[in-house]
Amino acid sequence: MKKTTSVLIAALVAGVLLSACGKKEEAPAPAAAPAPAAMKGIVVGLDDNFPPMGFKDEKNELVGFDIDLAKEAGKRLGAEVTFKPIDWSAKEAELSGKRVDVLWNGLTITEERKANILFTTPYLENRQIIIVLEKSPLKAKADLAGKVVGVQDGSSAVEAVTKDEATAKSIKELKKFGDNVTALMDLSAGRLDALVVDEVVGRYYAAKKAGEYRVLEENFGTEDYGVGTRKDDTELMGKIQKAMDDMKADGTAATISTKWFGKDIIKK
Amino acid sequence: MNYVFDIMGPLLEGTAVTIQVFLITLVLAVPFGLCLALLRISRFKVLSGLVNGYIWLMRGTPLMLQMLFIYFALPFVPVIGIRLPDFPSAIVAFVLNYAAYFAEIFRAGIQSIDRGQYEGARVLGMTYPQTMRRIVLPQVIKRILPPMSNETITLVKDTSLIYVLAMNDLLRAARGIVQRDFTTTPFVVAAAFYLIMTLVLTLGFQRLEKKYAVYDE
Repeated sequence: MKKTTSVLIAALVAGVLLSACGKKEEAPAPAAAPAPAAMKGIVVGLDDNFPPMGFKDEKNELVGFDIDLAKEAGKRLGAEVTFKPIDWSAKEAELSGKRVDVLWNGLTITEERKANILFTTPYLENRQIIIVLEKSPLKAKADLAGKVVGVQDGSSAVEAVTKDEATAKSIKELKKFGDNVTALMDLSAGRLDALVVDEVVGRYYAAKKAGEYRVLEENFGTEDYGVGTRKDDTELMGKIQKAMDDMKADGTAATISTKWFGKDIIKK
Repeated sequence: MNYVFDIMGPLLEGTAVTIQVFLITLVLAVPFGLCLALLRISRFKVLSGLVNGYIWLMRGTPLMLQMLFIYFALPFVPVIGIRLPDFPSAIVAFVLNYAAYFAEIFRAGIQSIDRGQYEGARVLGMTYPQTMRRIVLPQVIKRILPPMSNETITLVKDTSLIYVLAMNDLLRAARGIVQRDFTTTPFVVAAAFYLIMTLVLTLGFQRLEKKYAVYDE
């Protein structure tokens, strides 16, 4: 057992040293390599319980809009993409701890996150919609005064609601849930009056139970989804940005969007 | 009913993870806990004090916090900083934590044995290790079975905490399906799975208790 371990460690060390040497040799001659150089694998961190962006289908396989997009980008970069499920509220720690290289899972670009995360240009526009029960009397944002409003903890909905100071002050309580489904269940149970959620996600659930929920006309503003990397990982960011631009330009992104949302909602 | 069969696959995979964490923790934490218990009652004040502090630390902080610390914070700790993948992180946290609880159960069991038995064993010429192995521990096992069954059953359910490291145990697998299909059926199925696991443990411990009941005479 000990022997195997030490052999393994030796192999690992050798591997790291070799790859480090390899990089040094490649570095001085970038112009001589026009073909896409093979990259090391990319670990994509995602909340695997986040339909329709990333979730497990009936066969227990990881599928979703962002999954398809990330796989396509990996193919173009010649890099193997591994998906690592993470707890969404720990995403910054996963990224800075180098357990994942990329956050690609309906990640909203916010000023606060920009302090720690490097983002691509937006690829999807998203609204923070307000969902209420079909039979609820609530019609507009102003009606939320004195009501209990739910959001997913760690999601950008929290920021969207707090930013809207007038409304944030008027509501009775902002209840933070571990995930959107428990929030929707609380809505049905009557303990919650309204839920603020990403439009792509909210519409997915509302469609699952037709006739039970209603989406209000007003919303908590528009925001953009981007792909995030570590702040200092500019090399990887450049490559992902390039792949993303190519996918937008040649219509691949639009095709993937149509597959999951029924229409092209890619932000050019 | 068909739906229940459809979701069986992921739930069984989750159960496999749950059982793995449970068994590995049990196999490692019981001997470790026994060592801690013996050190705790030893005559060396320093050792006993150290173990006492360890038990206080492990029982005094939430298991979830310990797991998060080992996974996220440990890599940044100078000198001892190591980066463990998710599964080993969870196991280390569970073993360290459960060994502390087991140690206290063992200590209670050992100290419940009358001093006269040690003296009797010494008169018969037994050494301390012999006394422990032949006289004390068999009786201890009988006495600690009920609290041990309590703790093991708690362990089955505590494994669900590994969701914070995004590991797909039974409960997280069920939650994943709930999120996808927006129905609460998976929770009911998962509950049935947990009940089956704890039923097996309950019956197992009852048989053990019967077996050790011979010491009653």
